[in-house]
Amino acid sequence: MSTYHPVTPEIIAELEQIVGRRYVIHGDSEQLEPYSHDEITEKKYHHLPDVVVRPRTTTEIAAIMKLANRELIPVTPRGGGSGLSGGAVPVMGGIVLATDRMNSIIELDTDNMLIVVEPGVITNDIDALVAEHGLFFAGYPMSLQSCFIGGNVAENAGGGKAVKYGVTGQYILGVEMVTPEGEIVKLGGKLVKDVTGYDLTKLIIGSEGTLGIFTKVIIKLLPRPTEVVDLLVLFPDPETAIGMVSTIMTEARVIPTAIEFMDRLSAHASCEYLNERLPYEKAGAMLLIQLDGNRKAQLEEEYEAIGELCLEHGAIEVYVADNYTTQERIWSVRRNIAEAFMVVSPHQSLEDITVPVANIPKMIPELERLAKKYDIQVPCYGHAGDGNLHATPVKNPNHSLEQWEEMLPQILADLYAATRDLDGVISGEHGIGHKRKNYMSYSVSDASLELMKRIKRAFDPNNVLNPGKIFDV
Amino acid sequence: MNIIIPIKQVPETSNVKMDPETGTMIREGLVSIINPLDLFAIELGIVLQEEAGGSTTVLSMGPPKAAEALREAMAMGCTDGILLSDRKFAGSDTWATSYALAQAIRKNGDFDLVICGERATDGDTGQVGPGIAAWLDLPVATYVSRLVENRPGSLVVERLVEDGYETLEVEKPCVLTVVKEAAYPRLPTLRGKQRARKTELPVWGAVDIDADPAALGLKGSPTRVVKINTPKVTRSGDIRTAGDPAELEAAVDDLVAYLEKIDLV
Repeated sequence: MSTYHPVTPEIIAELEQIVGRRYVIHGDSEQLEPYSHDEITEKKYHHLPDVVVRPRTTTEIAAIMKLANRELIPVTPRGGGSGLSGGAVPVMGGIVLATDRMNSIIELDTDNMLIVVEPGVITNDIDALVAEHGLFFAGYPMSLQSCFIGGNVAENAGGGKAVKYGVTGQYILGVEMVTPEGEIVKLGGKLVKDVTGYDLTKLIIGSEGTLGIFTKVIIKLLPRPTEVVDLLVLFPDPETAIGMVSTIMTEARVIPTAIEFMDRLSAHASCEYLNERLPYEKAGAMLLIQLDGNRKAQLEEEYEAIGELCLEHGAIEVYVADNYTTQERIWSVRRNIAEAFMVVSPHQSLEDITVPVANIPKMIPELERLAKKYDIQVPCYGHAGDGNLHATPVKNPNHSLEQWEEMLPQILADLYAATRDLDGVISGEHGIGHKRKNYMSYSVSDASLELMKRIKRAFDPNNVLNPGKIFDV
Repeated sequence: MNIIIPIKQVPETSNVKMDPETGTMIREGLVSIINPLDLFAIELGIVLQEEAGGSTTVLSMGPPKAAEALREAMAMGCTDGILLSDRKFAGSDTWATSYALAQAIRKNGDFDLVICGERATDGDTGQVGPGIAAWLDLPVATYVSRLVENRPGSLVVERLVEDGYETLEVEKPCVLTVVKEAAYPRLPTLRGKQRARKTELPVWGAVDIDADPAALGLKGSPTRVVKINTPKVTRSGDIRTAGDPAELEAAVDDLVAYLEKIDLV
């Protein structure tokens, strides 16, 4: 374990020399505060940096890392700050390296169906740009309006479309990055096939900013589907809804783009929050199923097959949204759940467990057991189609804050144990960060963890890049 | 009770981009939707028909693509649809449009009620509903916010007016234009979609509605768009600095004098 050195005025001066005085923030806690947290609201996960630098070029980043190694100062890279595991939080203080100025589109290569961008480009802007060329970026994090592509790659963000298209990492062909020691390396490239040595690209995808800082990202694009249809299906209970996930794929023989699950609590809270008056009170759970394709007639056949199957298996109602108005309306129910629950109680732990798809029905009673045992609510929603559930323990308003804080680690331990017993993992798309690092043993064996630590040491012998994340070296 | 609901397909404009050079909307890539304010008319019509029986016929004048909007309304629960589509209708203003719609309503047969949205989000005139009433020589209640009672020969409705609400009794047949308080639109269901797809959707041209060709399209439209510009804000303020107590005193005195002058105090 390294002992870090303080950020002295001399170091600030050197950082100012590297990136320019305007792009160094220090000494003013009000200005530093936005860089002390991501979207986790609990203060105990926040930590102020000593200094924030906003480099513009790869060489500037390399120089910062060289300085950090020489002086033993921790560096925490930051994208859009929309993370949910603390990846961008400088838990050891030191330098926050913000990538917001590295926001150029370098090249749109339509012949190779790919785009090369800098890490600070907002993910949604990439999709909007390539849409003009009939292409699309299949990575689709839910925070798409604000997150940066660099953060998405670092966290290997999942999101709503993973059932059909997989997660961000599947579309990353290569990166240019600065290593923790300040070397500039290119991994992968504009290639579909590449077995030339270890696949380091895959290794650094999802490494949560602990193995390098991306400076360029090469993204594979797909032909853009022209037609999209969404179904909102109301079920009497969560078991029936969840049970449909595999039935849809195996019996209707269709792989939807997305299958989102909302239990009673989530759907009701969001509908009330939005003043949405669809007959949600009848529903014990809902599925939001999205299909895409290029032929309207085929999509109609597919959604009819799925809709009929849902009705046969006890669905209360199947709503069809095939235009902007209705699609926005039903997706906003799904998108606003987290916000709706913030109104109910700001003390909650947004979890990200993932189990094999066929085991999801077994997870629901476990959550109910948990809610009963601790006398709390555990609303559950998420990307049921890929087994990723955002079960979210919410503080009971009758419990004191101390009670809740004492209780939460036990709740999480129970939740993660249940997940492990169903062959699942503690995080599917939000990452470990410092929020979940004490629970790694629920998903990763000691031997695997030791391998990970050795990889980290090989990349970052001084442990200066994003220390205190995923595990303690 | 037979209800006619004229609707319009409009471009979806919440994500619209403006051309900074010309100041006009970039129409390329825009998707078409049912005029959002027509959804309240559709819902009110369906609710009334579910209670009183009869039919709800959704009617639209537009290109063949407007059939999508009609099928969507039928999926929500309207029993019938009619598309008015003919090159002769192209370029119609609100005068010619309301004439064509009125002719189609006449041609379609007996009816008790016409329900329109308050206005379309693209043209924003709010003239077509009252225009239909004028062509058909029927009473009209605009800005209807609530249907209070459906009586045998009349309707009692509540209207949203500038300083509150007004309750009216209107003899049937009549025309209503409704605001969003009037109803909460339902979502189309799978069964509704299936039914809408199977229902025949007649397409009528100028000949089918016995229209006077001279009263249709650009020829029949007295409106000429001469110039479009962004209105300038004419309001202006007077900001006074009040650095020391004397300045502050003077500023307050001036303000009071001004308010007295315009009879506000």
